[in-house]
Amino acid sequence: MSNLTEIEPFGEGFVEAMGPELILFAGMLLLIIVPNLGQGTFRIPGTQLRLPWLLGGQRFEFTSDPRLPAWLATFTLGGAFFNVLYTFSQGLDRVAIVSESGKQLLLVNGFSRIFELIFFGALALAAFSSMNRLRVNGVGSKVSETELFNNRRQADFYILMVTCALGMSVVALAQDLFVLFIGLELASFSTYVLVAFLKESKVGVESGMKYFIVGSVASGVGLYGLSMLYLWAGSLQFDVLATAFATTSSTDMALPLIGIGFVLVGFGFKVSAAPFHFAAPDAYAGATSPVAGVLATASKAMGMIGLVRMLLIVAAPETGDGSAIWLVCLGVLAAVTMTWGNLAALGSDNPKRMLAYSSVAHAGYMLAALTAVGAWNWDAAVSGDAGAAAVAVLTAVIFHLLVLVAFKLGAFLVLSILESEGDVSRLSSLGGLAKREPLLAVSMFIFMISLAGVPPMAGFLSKLLVIMGIVRVAVGDMGAELADGGIYALGDMHWVWWLALLMVLNSAISMFYYLRVGVVMFFDEPEEGREGPLPAGWQVRAAIFACVLTTLIIGVAGDAVLRLCEMAAQSLNYDW
Amino acid sequence: MQDWISLPLVGFPLISSLLLLAFVSKVSESMRNKLSDPIRMACLVFSLVLLGITTGMFFQYFGDVSWEGIGFNQYEYSHRYTWIESLGIHWTVGLDALSFPMVWLTTFLLPVTIIATWNEKNGATYFPIVLAMGGALIGVFVALDLFMFYVFWELTLIPMFFLILMWGGADRKYASQKFFIYTFTASVVMLLGLITLYFFQDPGNPLDYAGSMTGRSFDIPTITQHALAENSNGNWYLGANIQKVLFAMLMLGFLVKLPAVPFHTWLPDAHVQAPTGGSMLLAGVMLKMGAYGMFRLPISLFPHALEYFQLALMIIGMVSLVWGAIVCLGQTNLKKMVAYSSVSHMGVILIGIATMQPMGWAAALFMMFAHGIISPMLFAVCGAFKHHYHSMEIGAMRGMAKHSPWIATSMMFAWMASLGLPLLAGFVAELMMFIALWYFIDANGWSVFWMVGPALVLALTAAYYLWSMQRTIFEGGDETQPPASLHGEPVPDLASPEKLAMLILAAFTILFGVMPWIGLDMMHDWTKQIFDGLILPILGDFNGGI
Repeated sequence: MSNLTEIEPFGEGFVEAMGPELILFAGMLLLIIVPNLGQGTFRIPGTQLRLPWLLGGQRFEFTSDPRLPAWLATFTLGGAFFNVLYTFSQGLDRVAIVSESGKQLLLVNGFSRIFELIFFGALALAAFSSMNRLRVNGVGSKVSETELFNNRRQADFYILMVTCALGMSVVALAQDLFVLFIGLELASFSTYVLVAFLKESKVGVESGMKYFIVGSVASGVGLYGLSMLYLWAGSLQFDVLATAFATTSSTDMALPLIGIGFVLVGFGFKVSAAPFHFAAPDAYAGATSPVAGVLATASKAMGMIGLVRMLLIVAAPETGDGSAIWLVCLGVLAAVTMTWGNLAALGSDNPKRMLAYSSVAHAGYMLAALTAVGAWNWDAAVSGDAGAAAVAVLTAVIFHLLVLVAFKLGAFLVLSILESEGDVSRLSSLGGLAKREPLLAVSMFIFMISLAGVPPMAGFLSKLLVIMGIVRVAVGDMGAELADGGIYALGDMHWVWWLALLMVLNSAISMFYYLRVGVVMFFDEPEEGREGPLPAGWQVRAAIFACVLTTLIIGVAGDAVLRLCEMAAQSLNYDW
Repeated sequence: MQDWISLPLVGFPLISSLLLLAFVSKVSESMRNKLSDPIRMACLVFSLVLLGITTGMFFQYFGDVSWEGIGFNQYEYSHRYTWIESLGIHWTVGLDALSFPMVWLTTFLLPVTIIATWNEKNGATYFPIVLAMGGALIGVFVALDLFMFYVFWELTLIPMFFLILMWGGADRKYASQKFFIYTFTASVVMLLGLITLYFFQDPGNPLDYAGSMTGRSFDIPTITQHALAENSNGNWYLGANIQKVLFAMLMLGFLVKLPAVPFHTWLPDAHVQAPTGGSMLLAGVMLKMGAYGMFRLPISLFPHALEYFQLALMIIGMVSLVWGAIVCLGQTNLKKMVAYSSVSHMGVILIGIATMQPMGWAAALFMMFAHGIISPMLFAVCGAFKHHYHSMEIGAMRGMAKHSPWIATSMMFAWMASLGLPLLAGFVAELMMFIALWYFIDANGWSVFWMVGPALVLALTAAYYLWSMQRTIFEGGDETQPPASLHGEPVPDLASPEKLAMLILAAFTILFGVMPWIGLDMMHDWTKQIFDGLILPILGDFNGGI
């Protein structure tokens, strides 16, 4: 337990509390300014006197280096990442940033910090591995070295990555639906541009447009819902909304329920839950692979925060009967999402689309976990097994999002190496990878079976935790009552148990398409024109290696990370 | 006592093979070919060290462990390290009369497999993968923690997948995926069963080694002890309905692995496409994981449900036995025939389990062991056949006795051992199963017609084995006409490493046929103990049991 400190913006302790965000902000300024530094001069009007003024003109060799923006972004995001880690190691204090009237705007606690770890980690890896390899002429076309290093567009790319991180961290911190929405939009607009970054290619434009249009419609619907909630409660503070929701009688529920439903559409798009997932496969296929990886990990985690806040804080399960009003609805959504994602992935030959659908399936698993929370009390007052069960499920969700960064992003990074030698829109482009670069093929195989949930990878542990959370809620106190002579059958368990069964069956289905990647890499011959060695780039290989190590180490010894996630889960609703 | 000894048994092969593989993947293609010999030698030495350790454990060299008279839920060399404390996951290991023979068998088969497939291509990667397979298998058998058990259970799939995919026959792509997906599907259902079992424990009743986050324990000895206390009171542990459901969910995973009809269809594909070494380990040890799991979990925890499902298990066992034998009769592919004969023999294990007699269970345990020595020899013969004649068809090569006496002799020996010739290991297990089944039928008033299936299968097995021998070894045999698949090359015989492997396997088949008590005594002691402690209190004045 730690005390809550309230700080006004720029008050005492503000810099410490907002350390990661300030690092990001400073990095963003550097990214804008430094690549523009050159031998530019300023002529004093009416004289021949020229003062060096550094902006513009012939750029220095240092500032025109195409690697510079990537290094800046990597150090910024990495610095923010380690700053967060440092605050964890120092024992986290809860700090609220309040407005003048005392309303909480942002809250720094374990929950928000762990999500910042996810965001900054994913974005730093993506930025680092894009270094030197970002092509500006779109997927599939060969470009010369000079074209490849078009510095100014490089700088844009990395600036957007940093703004994206800034927006996401605001979402993690926000205690007010409006602040959350501002962060969400900042991150969204950055990702829209990042997805459309390959604007020279047809597929890049198509994916950018689709993602933007569908995304902005989802945001618009969400904003409409937000206005309804404001109309109903007169405030957008989460705690005010939660209190209002708890006290409203069920006959007056229509307005808030519609509002919450609309807001959930916006977040559902971000986590790519069915039926809001249609833009995701196109967006992933057209974006550069590291950006697609960010969409599948950081952006999904951001949407998950929104879902958690709306479902578990605002529309919290009632204390009495313990079943939330959205329970059945979310359960159906989870079942549909995981099944749809897996079935669609079975039929897709494009590895990036396949990974997109697998991301939809993973969203389904996490929605199933949230459903389980709704099946039981989510209340600080319930000290017994119920509260612990909810914490366990939420821990599983956070752990899953955290380790997903390692193996989902890692898979996209492997694809990005292949992408820089040509189109990877067919599975056969992975052919013969085991002969061309065995370690890369083994890494990809590890990522695939980790996604499928095979031990001893991190993906197994996270899936196990989700299943364990669901089963724990479903079984409830029956274990103790059985020991006292109670009689129970399978049907006496809560129906969320069947979601766990559906989830393991879905894992079995998913094995088909994950294993197919392995078979193609180790069995098939390379495609024509891909026989030679793979494109160089130590940065991306280092990033992939880090992902493999994380996947294996967390899979084998995940206790410390697990405890971190548990602490984060507790801090959502407890005084931690 | 060296309690930690299971740690190197599991960790050493896994880690050394990973290091070898990582090293090999960094070197160039030509270097890799040069490295193949030293790596093979290293793997052989490593596996011999493992065999030395387990043999030393048997002869009470490492600590004074008596393998006879080990009680139910008592473990030797048991040790526990904390792994993931918040979930109650521990690295818990231990050996009893159920798992020790399997561990010894694994370490015995590793060097034999390496010798038998001495000249396998891409040896620099092949032999480390075989070694890794051994480590994962040992892990399954020593694990006494549900989580750890499941981790190793699934881990065995990965090396076997690569063995089939990269060294298998023409259709290996299909076979490897089918193998992986089929068994994975069954084991995720089993996983859900394990987790449901985990949460049905009573957290109020203080559990040893419980997780700080969950209050439940993955510890198999602890769970078994709770279950035993509850079951022997006459109650059903976890209640009747839940016990039945969990029994069925766990059994599904084990029946697919065993495999029993109708879940056996992955096995013939996997075997026919797998390389010789893969087949030897698959048939020799991996199938036994299913039977081992049945004893370790559903039978030990849910004896009431076992009694409830006794008839179903008996029927599945009978069908596997008979169906496997009938299908064998129709095979023209030598390896497929041997694969189906494995299905048939696994039926014997299931029948032994379904009798719920100490002798039936001992028969099942001894069958696991005997089949673990005989079936690798069957597959080694098939591999040699394929290797030398480039064909697997029965009748592609005729009159082998004259062309290649070594292959012919090994084949005859292996075939005879598998059909249950007295004085060979397989006979002991089959005989015991017959006695136990007859006793069970007699004591419980079941119809005598239950004996028809096993009796019929005795004849069928003899028929398909003798028939295939007649067509390959003796018939024809004109020395001037070698088979067409050789394209005029000289007719080969076994290479010397293959001869050595055959001799070792044959010697142990005879050893355990003539002196079965070496392994059987501890098995029968253990099954007697589990029967007395677990089954008798349930069945009351049940017909005794032999």
